[in-house]
Amino acid sequence: MNDLCADIGYKSINHYGEQLCGDHVDVVEQEDGSTVIVLADGLGSGVKASILSTLTSKILSTMMAAGLSVQDCVSTMVATLPVCSVRGVAYSTFTIIHLLDNHTAELIQYDNPHIILLRNGKATPYQKTEHRVDNKKIFFSTIPLQEGDVFLAMSDGCPHAGIGNTFNFGWKEEDIADFMELITPIGYTAKTLATMLVDECDRLYDSKPGDDATACVVRIRRREPMNVLFGPPANRDDSGRMMSLFFSREGKHIVCGGTTASIAANWLGKQLEVKLNFELDGEVPPIGSIEGVDLVTEGVITINKVLEYAQDYVSDNLAYQQWSLGRDGASLISRMIFEEATDINFYVGRAVNPAHQNPDLPINFNIKMNLVKELSECLKKMGKHVKISYF
Amino acid sequence: MVVSICVGSACHLKGSRDLVELLKNAIEKHNLSEEVTLTGSFCLGECNRNGVTIQVDGEICPGVTVEEFPEFFQTKILDQLGKGAT
Repeated sequence: MNDLCADIGYKSINHYGEQLCGDHVDVVEQEDGSTVIVLADGLGSGVKASILSTLTSKILSTMMAAGLSVQDCVSTMVATLPVCSVRGVAYSTFTIIHLLDNHTAELIQYDNPHIILLRNGKATPYQKTEHRVDNKKIFFSTIPLQEGDVFLAMSDGCPHAGIGNTFNFGWKEEDIADFMELITPIGYTAKTLATMLVDECDRLYDSKPGDDATACVVRIRRREPMNVLFGPPANRDDSGRMMSLFFSREGKHIVCGGTTASIAANWLGKQLEVKLNFELDGEVPPIGSIEGVDLVTEGVITINKVLEYAQDYVSDNLAYQQWSLGRDGASLISRMIFEEATDINFYVGRAVNPAHQNPDLPINFNIKMNLVKELSECLKKMGKHVKISYF
Repeated sequence: MVVSICVGSACHLKGSRDLVELLKNAIEKHNLSEEVTLTGSFCLGECNRNGVTIQVDGEICPGVTVEEFPEFFQTKILDQLGKGAT
């Protein structure tokens, strides 16, 4: 066991005019800490391709995770896939990334564009061994992981982007690697990197993709704990206990809520200062600062906005440009817990704020408790480890 | 003189931002930027049904609304500083 972990994110765009995607990504996490990621690209597009790729990725991820050999997996797949009535073949390409205990990656690649490995921010060649399984040319690689490694798996829709339109022969794989070298060192999450790449493909396709295009990014990173304090404790006497537990945790500290911030400032014996800069058209209240706390924000309204971003992040990821650049409290929290953090500890106080019990205002106690619950659901979907303690 | 405007959840929803703008403009208009420091604060514990809580030096003035702002500025700031009506 080491303190590395994998940040996994993917995004697809569909063939122009299709409602279903013919590419499918499946991620299976094992109890022993290994992870199997399969990206499959079904023949053609639409329903047929979608069925082929879903079957392929499900079969492979389930069988690989159960520890069966690739030989078995591939022959099962070939025997199971329905045969296309037009072309007379059953076919789906696939890429498998098998992460063992976060120290080794096994790559198994069949007919998809080859995985691009970025090490220390540079595209790095790696060894591939060719094997024939059921008369299919399959490439195997074993790579010891380093912090900062980024693996990019794609369906052929990515290098085909812009064929005969923007480019004569599509977006060359070297150029995709260059593009990734440019955006990887900034520290974006795997999901954001995948989104940026697929957005670029969509642009090259002139928003009319001639094929399903999928990017799946795996980023190897160090574990990064983050602690969020939200709301004062139901019982005043618990303040001291709550503060000492919160501040003794390793990692960065975020304090959300006005009253909460004054309790924290008091406990630390520091001054709470509040700024008057309204960002984002003033939708979210300004942030504050306390020496010794990494970020101080208002509570419910800010967290509500963070939840909005989180829900968008786990679905279409359309708002990343907003929160990845914004300087308001919600954007700052989003960057810290979506991008920086891998483990998030919430310290939630259950005090009822009398100012929020005003029926004219869209905030109340239940909303506050639900915010934390829904936000932690989203964070879990992002692959974060979340722990909530109530006071 | 230190004037701090509450930007906590409740006051924010009741329009702290507009009052910050009004205060900034009024202070500029009366050339008071040397004398008055504007700052933010979180909940001052005096929440009201209407309006925003503003603290002028030690004194807490809850429930300041945009409509009442001219009167607030006159009595709590200009008068306190000994400046006559303009």
